[in-house]
Amino acid sequence: MEKAIYLEIDLCSGCGACAVACMDQNDIFPEKGQSALRRIYQIEEGEFPSASIQYVSAACLHCQDSPCVIGCPTGAISKSNRTGAVIVEKELCIGCHSCSLACPFGVPRYDLDEKMQKCNLCMERVEASLEPACVRVCPMNALKFESVNKVQREKELKFAGNIVNAVHKTAGHTTK
Amino acid sequence: MKDVQKLVRGKVPGPTTSIEVRKSICTICDPLTQCGLDLYVKDGKIIKLEGSKENPSNSGTLCVKGAANRQYIYNEDRIRTPLKRTGPRGSGKFEPISWDEALNTIADKFNEIKKQNGPESVAFFSGYTKYFRPYLKRLAHSFGSPNYLSESSTCANAMAMSQKLVFGLPGGPDLKNTNCLMVWSGNPFYTKPGTARAIIKGQERGMKLIVVDPRQTPTTARADLHLPVRPGTDGALALAMANVIINEKLYDQDFVANYSYGFEDYREYVQQFTPEKGEELTGVPSDQIIQAARMYASVKPAAILPSASAIVHHTNGVQNYRAVFSLAGLTGNYDIVGGNLSVPQSFAHAPGLIPTKEEEFRQSRPWSEMVPRIGTDRFPVWVEMIDEEAQAMHLPDQIRSGEPYPLKALIGFGMNYRMWPDSMDLLESLDKLELFVNVDLFMTDTCKYADIVLPACSSVERSELRCYPMGYIIFTQPAIQPLYNSRSDVDIIYELADRLGLNDPLFQAGYEASVDWILEPSGITVAELKKHPGGMFVPNPMKLREKKYLNGGFKTPSGKMEFKSKVLEKYEGKFGFKALPVYTPPKYSRESTPELAQEYPFILNTGSRLPMFIHTRTFRLTWTMSLRPNHPAADISPVDAARLGLKQDDIIRISTPKDAIVVKANLTQMVQPGVIHMYHGHPEANVNLLLEGDYLDPLSGFPGFKSTLCKVEKI
Repeated sequence: MEKAIYLEIDLCSGCGACAVACMDQNDIFPEKGQSALRRIYQIEEGEFPSASIQYVSAACLHCQDSPCVIGCPTGAISKSNRTGAVIVEKELCIGCHSCSLACPFGVPRYDLDEKMQKCNLCMERVEASLEPACVRVCPMNALKFESVNKVQREKELKFAGNIVNAVHKTAGHTTK
Repeated sequence: MKDVQKLVRGKVPGPTTSIEVRKSICTICDPLTQCGLDLYVKDGKIIKLEGSKENPSNSGTLCVKGAANRQYIYNEDRIRTPLKRTGPRGSGKFEPISWDEALNTIADKFNEIKKQNGPESVAFFSGYTKYFRPYLKRLAHSFGSPNYLSESSTCANAMAMSQKLVFGLPGGPDLKNTNCLMVWSGNPFYTKPGTARAIIKGQERGMKLIVVDPRQTPTTARADLHLPVRPGTDGALALAMANVIINEKLYDQDFVANYSYGFEDYREYVQQFTPEKGEELTGVPSDQIIQAARMYASVKPAAILPSASAIVHHTNGVQNYRAVFSLAGLTGNYDIVGGNLSVPQSFAHAPGLIPTKEEEFRQSRPWSEMVPRIGTDRFPVWVEMIDEEAQAMHLPDQIRSGEPYPLKALIGFGMNYRMWPDSMDLLESLDKLELFVNVDLFMTDTCKYADIVLPACSSVERSELRCYPMGYIIFTQPAIQPLYNSRSDVDIIYELADRLGLNDPLFQAGYEASVDWILEPSGITVAELKKHPGGMFVPNPMKLREKKYLNGGFKTPSGKMEFKSKVLEKYEGKFGFKALPVYTPPKYSRESTPELAQEYPFILNTGSRLPMFIHTRTFRLTWTMSLRPNHPAADISPVDAARLGLKQDDIIRISTPKDAIVVKANLTQMVQPGVIHMYHGHPEANVNLLLEGDYLDPLSGFPGFKSTLCKVEKI
């Protein structure tokens, strides 16, 4: 697995651009009864004016050890070696919903043909060196498509920078 | 699956799939955004789109509305051909007619009215978007009518007016260089992602962020200080901050002594607005008022980020915003780098770092050669401060009264009657017109009242000029041909100019020749722009200078920054306007009308933005609608909901003495207890019906959309 989609949760404003870009990419039309593959949640705790309001853009996490792959009785779900995407072969899916029982995140949805449908990491785009549609559109750059561990490394680096700044400040000078 | 099939399924552009990427821009919201679009076109049809990476406005991203463009462009409500009404107004019964018949009918009628009543009896109105406005205004004036009007009668103009009364020229926040940004009051995370990105960048380099907002939003979540003001009390909050800044001597004494007018009276006036009084009036704790005042006054440079309409949508809006902008003068933050810098506009309300002849182009006939605009007697400050247009809120009264002259015909481009408070009154007044034409993409309820309806095309089907604040410019080319029998607004305007027989050399020379004429001082030509379909940086961007008032003073009557307005002073007697930025509570409020508040205990705030909507422009799209599935729904605090026994999505009636609407209850901690937020313009729940037609700020004519009183009942 080379790259994965990361959500920097503090940057997400819950606007839904990723959900719409996903529907545009995958020709999903809610008026036909089709389900979005990427969805937005607003989680509120506490009370105004000091409530904590967080937003989450959620879709398939393309787990390394995917319970849905193991749970699928027909082998319709597999994990791509090249992209790391967990993908469904519709021809093999029998619509038994085993994957939805196996998935701890509530990801699998069933299309009008009763077959499982979910994010495929925009695999064709990724193989053509393009970003997934949701990542490309994200106006806050909260969604990132990065090499595994790179996002963490950057976060760590930023944290390290903050430590240095804090130390300098207590010593009476600041870095910019 | 074969590789080619896979690439087609993944919509990967290239010769293998015959998917071509073409350039355009999004104009669903407007202006200063106009994100670049990469349109994936196959067999002449757009199959997908994304943001252009080269356009500095969006750098490859899009907002939720822009991402939904495909459903906007290919919407089934698109008008397919010019139409002539055959049934009663509003019935939606039309018959198709040719463009020739439509345009000739309109031109003949306009010329007949001009002959019988004078050209002023024909009015020209612009809704969204804004790219065609200079041409439409020119059409009105070349025809001889002073009555060019627009939706800016409820957006941006009053904010500009507030700033002009204080400084002469408005100043926008210098986001790149400011060390303290005071957002008053807006949420760019929903409305202007570019600004939101600039805020994040600013914070990364240590910029302080103060946000005044009656809601909790993604912007307030990032703030060092969030002042959760009660809607309509912003003036009191600003005056209380001034009280702290003055009494703690945090103000810019050099600026105040040398470049301001009326400070002593202002200083005396703000004494009553102690932080404690401020808390009582606004609901913001006094210690937060003190902290905000100290932070804004002492971190240099500091800038105020205003919003186009949130503050001026109050019956006391202009005075409230004057009080806010006075803080920029008080602290010496006006027209400095990192403060509120005055930047000249280049085209269609946007600065572009190039000189143009737009103003000269649109004002093809001077005001002095035309009769006064409608509403001149009622809104004299508007006429004095807003050079571009007439106040459209006066339209129903004007049509009905026929004074001082009758209005006989109206052509609207994207006119939406629900923009007016007491919307039915405007709609019914249109019945008195001899001819009402509406140009639109979609068969709207307003179109159904028109005698003739003309189909306009979307931004990706036309050619338009846009300038960007970072010195970028684009003249788009159609990515696809206009759908059905639609045309661009500009083509319609130039066709009309021709058929009206106007003796106007630039209309006669044509659209692109006009653009060349407008751009002439910049040295940029249409031919050059066409070589850059995705836009280009302007070759010689203007250098922005600060403190332009040092040469020639402020463009105010006193030549100074005015704490006390010499313009408003003139109207004290006849209109009762106050020269100081005085605070009066909203016309209907606990303070002004306590008896009314007994029966109608909630503050009704309409139109505060949701991420997926900009006015009504994305209501038709199932992609955006799916993100707010309970629409129309009013946002209500769970605290209030518990008191009223309301659960999520319960049906409620929101009423004022004027009218009532029925919507769902959307429970969220984003809103404060006691305030109901209802999005505007919904066909089945038009919240503007709850307001009286004259619930206006007498200074600007702006409706008090964001604070009136209402009650809520579960039904």
